[in-house]
Amino acid sequence: MKNKKGGDKIISVYWFVILFLVAAGISYMVISFYGKPYDIRELEANVLTNRIADCVSTNGYLNEEILTHSFQNSLLNKCNLNFEVEDAYDWKTQEQFYVKLEVLEFNSKVKVVEVSEGNSNLKDFCEPASKNSPTCLNRSFYSIDKQNNQYQVNILSVVRKTEKNVK
Amino acid sequence: MKILKNKKGNILTENLIFIILNIVFLSILILFLFSKMGSAAVLEERYSKEIALLIDSAKPGMTISLNMEDAVKIAKKEKWPLDKIVFIEGNTVKVQLREKGAENSLGSYSFFNDVNVKANFDTTNNKGYYFVIGEK
Repeated sequence: MKNKKGGDKIISVYWFVILFLVAAGISYMVISFYGKPYDIRELEANVLTNRIADCVSTNGYLNEEILTHSFQNSLLNKCNLNFEVEDAYDWKTQEQFYVKLEVLEFNSKVKVVEVSEGNSNLKDFCEPASKNSPTCLNRSFYSIDKQNNQYQVNILSVVRKTEKNVK
Repeated sequence: MKILKNKKGNILTENLIFIILNIVFLSILILFLFSKMGSAAVLEERYSKEIALLIDSAKPGMTISLNMEDAVKIAKKEKWPLDKIVFIEGNTVKVQLREKGAENSLGSYSFFNDVNVKANFDTTNNKGYYFVIGEK
């Protein structure tokens, strides 16, 4: 009878050791998950690309205004974009976005338009992609103008904002 | 017979203590999980990013309604004015649910859509905010 009692006590001690280990494991996972910020840079780059694409082409037809110099000189203004960011982590002195728009004739691949805005240094960190490097998104699509000339539109969007999205 | 009765009593007490300790242990674990999941800092960061993405995808003329029931609950608990939870300054969204929230730099996030945004607390249901997007 005495032995059985001792055995029960040993089981309960082991039980609490196991419970403690499970709790420590769960706590570690929760702290490491919720301690990291949400990374939304890929979503931001996607939205930025969509906005530029909407600005360049409507219903599959190229917005012919983009072939003019006034459009190319004020891409941000024409596409209703504002690359100003909050005053944190010294971001005011270092722009956090970069976009590059290229329009090529579809068959000859001759560049008709090449415009870029934002911090051009960011594109150098696209490859190799790592956790701390900016998020880069390359997208191409096909468009025609009213005279049925065919074009290929390439958009590169880069979002940095590393400090607020990665830990 | 007397000895047996005593032994039965001991087993019951030991088991009771064992079960109570287990329940206390698991309750603390669950409370810890919920406190981490719904903490003010996490919600401030989540909503500031969510609102910035909503504004980035919006077009002038839109009105966007956002349910922020969990954030409103925390702001009430922290006695923070409900109409000051979301604040838009320039092109930066700031979400604050407590007095110390301003120190949380993750509670603010900028949007790149060049629009005029007004954030209004929805007083009809007291559960969230609606955002009126206008041209600049």
